[in-house]
Amino acid sequence: MRILIVEDDREAASYIRKGLRESGHVADHAADGEEGLEMARAAEYDVLVVDRMMPRMDGLTMVETLRKDEDRTPVLILSALGEVDDRVKGLKAGGDDYLVKPYAFAELLARVEALARRRDPETVRTKLVVGDLEMDLLARTVVRDGEEILLQPREFRLLEFLMKHSGQVVTRTMLLEKVWDYHFDPQTNVIDVHISRLRSKIDKPFPRALLHTVRGAGYRLQA
Amino acid sequence: MERRRAAFLRTTAFRQTLLSAALFALSSFVILGFVYAASAGMMLRRADAAVNAEVEVLEERFQLGGIASLNRYILQRTVGGGADYLYVLVHPSGRSMSGNLTGLPSGVQPDEEGRIQFVYQRPPVGDEAGEDGKDDRTARGRIVGLPSGYRLFVGLDVHEETRLVARMLNTILAASALALALGVAAGIFVSRRFVRRLDRINSVARRVRAGDLQPRAPRNYTGDELDELSENFNNMLDRVEALMHRMRHTGDSIAHDLRTPLTRMRNRLDEALREGGDLDAREQALERAVADTDELLGIFNAILSLSRLEAGESRTSIVRLDPAEIANDLAELYEPVCEDDGLAFDSEIQTGLVMLGDRGLLSQALANVLDNAVKYTPPGGAVTLRLRETGDGRIEFSVTDTGPGIPDADRDRVTQRFVRLDNSRTKPGSGLGLSLVQAIADVHNGRFELGEGPGVVEGGHGPGLRASLSFPRAPAEPG
Repeated sequence: MRILIVEDDREAASYIRKGLRESGHVADHAADGEEGLEMARAAEYDVLVVDRMMPRMDGLTMVETLRKDEDRTPVLILSALGEVDDRVKGLKAGGDDYLVKPYAFAELLARVEALARRRDPETVRTKLVVGDLEMDLLARTVVRDGEEILLQPREFRLLEFLMKHSGQVVTRTMLLEKVWDYHFDPQTNVIDVHISRLRSKIDKPFPRALLHTVRGAGYRLQA
Repeated sequence: MERRRAAFLRTTAFRQTLLSAALFALSSFVILGFVYAASAGMMLRRADAAVNAEVEVLEERFQLGGIASLNRYILQRTVGGGADYLYVLVHPSGRSMSGNLTGLPSGVQPDEEGRIQFVYQRPPVGDEAGEDGKDDRTARGRIVGLPSGYRLFVGLDVHEETRLVARMLNTILAASALALALGVAAGIFVSRRFVRRLDRINSVARRVRAGDLQPRAPRNYTGDELDELSENFNNMLDRVEALMHRMRHTGDSIAHDLRTPLTRMRNRLDEALREGGDLDAREQALERAVADTDELLGIFNAILSLSRLEAGESRTSIVRLDPAEIANDLAELYEPVCEDDGLAFDSEIQTGLVMLGDRGLLSQALANVLDNAVKYTPPGGAVTLRLRETGDGRIEFSVTDTGPGIPDADRDRVTQRFVRLDNSRTKPGSGLGLSLVQAIADVHNGRFELGEGPGVVEGGHGPGLRASLSFPRAPAEPG
């Protein structure tokens, strides 16, 4: 993937850049909003990672300008502020996801990869398939290896999210935000408990595990 | 000292008293002046009326008997002294014909009514004589011109009256001057007292500024303005002191809470450096160091959101919502967690309630309370989440557990920042969780209360804790 990092803090930018390159992506860097806007217009990027507070042109203005130009490149906004209203403002300006500093690189990588996936033509899918696991979004049924698996509504949504991002790492925070719509971190390992419930239903009775734990990052559903 | 003296002259109190003294002096001057004008005028008018009456008598005499008769009459009146009036009858040649005055005063211009006032010398009578044997007295009367060039003066001795009037005028001036002087003196006195009391308050302020938070402004408990100022000033200092104390406490706690994970992290990194070739151990140490950093950042974030909530800077999105949805979501989130920890989880959620709130914040508050219940309740216990409308019409979320509970004496304390009853700090946690719950309750005009749980239950658990978050119902929707 080709990713543009718009961030005035050079150290932070090189940290992200290095991490993205190690993960096999191409990453460019712009030091402020104006430069970022120019570079985003000049080349095709899969994802933009934009810092909110920058000299010359702040991140929100840059994203708003891009959106006015009908540029739909997915944007991940980085911010040092961490309140709900800040997130709402960021998303209103046209950001697709919002990450509060400081963050673990694994979190950023997971979100960038999830955003790039979103770019795929949004055909309305009614069926998700990962290996021998199938989900029918209309009938709300899950079948693995021909066997129907009964899930609670929340488990269904959790699995749906994992299947939509199959092959990618999803973090606990992403799951809390996207599946539960909670923007805080409970102290207890609530997500791990729910994942292990889900795992006992979709994996345990079968010889091959699909739902993997990625140490220090989160989970990945992969055939 | 010189500077001081000059300073009190500039004080508001002094200027105020000076101004009121001047106003007082001026008004007494005006009032006394009015009295003066009225009484002096009255005395002179009375004399004038008497003179007019006598003139009429004399004019009648003249009309009946001519100048000779008039002359005779005056002579009769004035012979031997002791006449009530002063008379002079002047021949057209200027010679004085009769009367008890030596002549008409020269150089005195009569007014329109022909009245004149002048000083004459009365022959000494008894011991009223002046030092030089002469007696200067004031006369006031009318000069009437008679046919054939005769002129007649009839007047009265108004010496006593004019002296009285003059004395009155002097008294009035003296009184006004005295009032002014007394006012200024009072101003100096009052402003000195005022300045002294203000000085004491100012010196307290200076000492506080220099870093000593102990001194307090003196009070006299009269409830006057300065006493009130002192009281407010002292209350402010109390608050500042409490805040400083809290800040210091918070600072100490932050230092303490951060030192532990920082030390741990430092040791792990150090160990990793010395681990040498063992890559696995090295990697593990680094991973744990990252986890420690995350814990530290978590504490910082909690402090930040707490401060923003408490300062009211965090703009919340408060809307009408169904609290049952929040409770159901959290019940669903925590039920498996409890089961994994060997706790029985139960929820009783009343539906059909409406309240005003921010879903995210309310969920976070409840999650914090549930986290605590899960953390402190030993396996075999139970956690219950309830949502109901209380008897007094409030909407109450409550979480009951069968853990050790919180002693009555500590219940108020635990919502303060960094207060952790577990002094050894063996359980993870920042000591900010309940502070955040309290702050979220405050943002919603709600109450956060801790009480006793279900009591000691079988298996020796208890007495448990009941944490309740209650909020007012949403007002009926308009329209």
